Amino acid sequence: MKISYNWLKWYVPEIPEAEKLADVFTMHLCEVEEVEKKDGDSIFDLKILPDRAHDLLSHHGIARELAGQLGIAFNDPTPKYKIPESKSTNLKIELQTENCRRYSGRIVRNIKVGPSPDWVKMHLESIGQRSINNIVDATNITMYDCGQPCHAFDLDKLASEKLIVRYAKAGEKITTLDNKEVLLKETDMVIADENNVLAIAGVKGGKIAEVDENTKNILIEVANFDPVSVRKTSRKMGIITDSSKRFENDLSPELCSFAMVELSGLFVEYGFTDFEDVVDLYENKQQDRKVIFSVDLVNKKLGANISADEIENILKQYNYTYIRTGENFEITPPSMRLDLNIPEDMLEEIGRVYGYDKVTPQAPEIDFKPEVNKIFTKIAYARNKLISEGYNEVMTYSFCNKGKVQVLASASDKKYLRENLTDGLKDSINLNNLNSPFLGLDTVKVFEIGTVFLGDKEETRVAYGDKKKITEITIDEYCKDILPEIFSERSSDLFANTLSQTISENTSGSTNQIFKMWSLYPFIARDIALWVDENISLESIQKIIKENAGDLLVKEPRLFDTFKKEGKISYAFRLVFQSKEKTLTDEEVAIPMAKITEKLVLDGFVIR
Amino acid sequence: MSDDAQTQQKKGTEHPISLIINEVVSIFSDMGFEIATGPELEDEWHNFDALNVSKDHPARDMQDTFFIKDKPEHVLRTHTSGVQIRYMEQLVKEGKQPPFAIVVPGKVFRNESTDAGHEMQFFQLEGLMIGKDINVANLKYVLTEFFKKFLGEDAEIRLRPSFFPFVEPGFEVDVKHNGKWMELLGAGMVHPNVIKNCGLDPKEWQGFAFGFGLDRLTIVKFGIPDIRLFYQGDLRLNQF
Repeated sequence: MKISYNWLKWYVPEIPEAEKLADVFTMHLCEVEEVEKKDGDSIFDLKILPDRAHDLLSHHGIARELAGQLGIAFNDPTPKYKIPESKSTNLKIELQTENCRRYSGRIVRNIKVGPSPDWVKMHLESIGQRSINNIVDATNITMYDCGQPCHAFDLDKLASEKLIVRYAKAGEKITTLDNKEVLLKETDMVIADENNVLAIAGVKGGKIAEVDENTKNILIEVANFDPVSVRKTSRKMGIITDSSKRFENDLSPELCSFAMVELSGLFVEYGFTDFEDVVDLYENKQQDRKVIFSVDLVNKKLGANISADEIENILKQYNYTYIRTGENFEITPPSMRLDLNIPEDMLEEIGRVYGYDKVTPQAPEIDFKPEVNKIFTKIAYARNKLISEGYNEVMTYSFCNKGKVQVLASASDKKYLRENLTDGLKDSINLNNLNSPFLGLDTVKVFEIGTVFLGDKEETRVAYGDKKKITEITIDEYCKDILPEIFSERSSDLFANTLSQTISENTSGSTNQIFKMWSLYPFIARDIALWVDENISLESIQKIIKENAGDLLVKEPRLFDTFKKEGKISYAFRLVFQSKEKTLTDEEVAIPMAKITEKLVLDGFVIR
Repeated sequence: MSDDAQTQQKKGTEHPISLIINEVVSIFSDMGFEIATGPELEDEWHNFDALNVSKDHPARDMQDTFFIKDKPEHVLRTHTSGVQIRYMEQLVKEGKQPPFAIVVPGKVFRNESTDAGHEMQFFQLEGLMIGKDINVANLKYVLTEFFKKFLGEDAEIRLRPSFFPFVEPGFEVDVKHNGKWMELLGAGMVHPNVIKNCGLDPKEWQGFAFGFGLDRLTIVKFGIPDIRLFYQGDLRLNQF
């Protein structure tokens, strides 16, 4: 949600400067994804948390939150909006479903569609929205301001002055405002007149009753729709709008009252005067709830020492209705705060405002003797054993092209779960064989320990092998020699021992080990063999090779063959050349090879 | 072949994620945590319902979760949190009681398109400590100690407000390493509904839970540029 600093300031004039405000948001409310400075304003992109999306996807909501958190004044704009006396209305609204929890409609006549006043354009543009016309802009300003989506229909395009909120009939269609034809299903809530579907409830308006430059009379909708119904329709159609996003987060139906005042007030500012009475269908009113919590609960769960007075102060700042009885509080959450239901919710309120940074870390004390996890111990044991036998560990995908278990609607083309590890291991061996000079391996030996899916059960298996043979067995089978020990009293020693063996020096504490990404271009391997006297060290030869090989040599020269004959030793090295920028040619590798050879000959060695 | 050449390739190499799992588990084990494990193909009760994730929660939409064909109400687990439930249910079944402390390493799955930071499969570690008075101060202690041991003595943590259905309050935990804050894990005080769903009395028992991505931790520790490198079966990855 994009929030304009200047817009906020209108409601909470005492807010700290923009730089400090970012920290307040981060540490006490939600993540700030970005702060953009433009035209003397700062725009905060806030990642509103799902449990607060019903009240914080709005400038009002954020301003109220800041007022509470910082204990500063909130300017309630309601008295500012003065609506002229309205006339009686013939508007009829029929709710055929309880999933429309409230519907307020109002006819406004003799309006004039045109460009918006500059301040409206500026407000919309500041948060990245485009101005369309004064009517649509007014509905959008209201939504970004107080969080309530609104809609305007061209009254004269309706079959009659009657609206029906119902579920679509199979086969019904609507062309949306952006000219897309959508086939409706019986699970889609719609707004209709007596002939046609006019809008997809809470999601998007339709073309039939679109407000255009000739519109004279409008019908404004300020309604509340069931979140699950809106979400299902919006997801199924792939139409996600600012309106649907708000409804699916469960708005309070109470919000409609203010939004109707605000939207009407904006029209008054435009100079419209011909208002009819609001038709407000709101049968099942949102009930007040009580949440009871104690100071003791707050401190017991936070591990803090906050006093009842401090808590009361926070409640006061937020303007909560509450009754304090000694160390206990009973609060009536404001109607917009649908997230406050149980004592723990209040604990979060208090903790968040108080500041989690003020909670001092404290070592827990519990009387608990951990048991050894048998599966984990077996896996660690198998891994150690295989590594000690020269096998290299890989992990391959659990997904594949065939198997007994299929996943639904995968984002990938591999829709089955593996029923063996062998197939993945074969691919791995093929890949690594191609790279064996790079890896410095004569024989590529790999293993994987992982889960396979057999339809009626899943199983942990061990597979290991090389290009000639792969063995795949269950972890129990592999560990049969140590099974008695795992199930004995000595299991904790075995566990500790196994774990300590497997911990590498590279991982403990801070490490300087940094991953080296390999080049995506092919490497070229070249061998060089030479005779040396017995008193010449291997390292000195490797040093000469490295010094003369240039930047393209990507691995240590690897000794792969050595033998003695008549007081001399023959050393054979494999050199791996690779570029990070391109595919090397034979000629390009010949240059460093020639340089190495030349230097070795110059130093008196005989190249074989 | 010479002895030298043979010795050079005698010992095999370990996958970087295994190195990290062992390291992480060992630190928590030293702190008194037990290791718990559970199935990768999980039922919806353990993966969602018992964790206070309502039937119509967006996370249960097709786009995030792998549902299983011809096996209704089963999913590839989207987190290791289901093992919390299994552990507590088992405890109650055996007539035992908290306190306890567990960590759960394991593979999890998300049905989403992949990029350098996202994979369809990855590893998570879940932590859970329940007792009579286990609190946020204890959570801060445990996580601070862990990251000091894992990343170095200069590591710091901070809690920011966040939301997950299975905790209240919920936190995002940032870890400061080499002077930079990184968002590394989610945590919170276990939601009373979760404790109740396992057959324990939330008025009597309380505690914290946390969870982080082991792939992400491996990436942070070694500076690996792309999460997808982990599952190619490519031995060029085993550099440590």
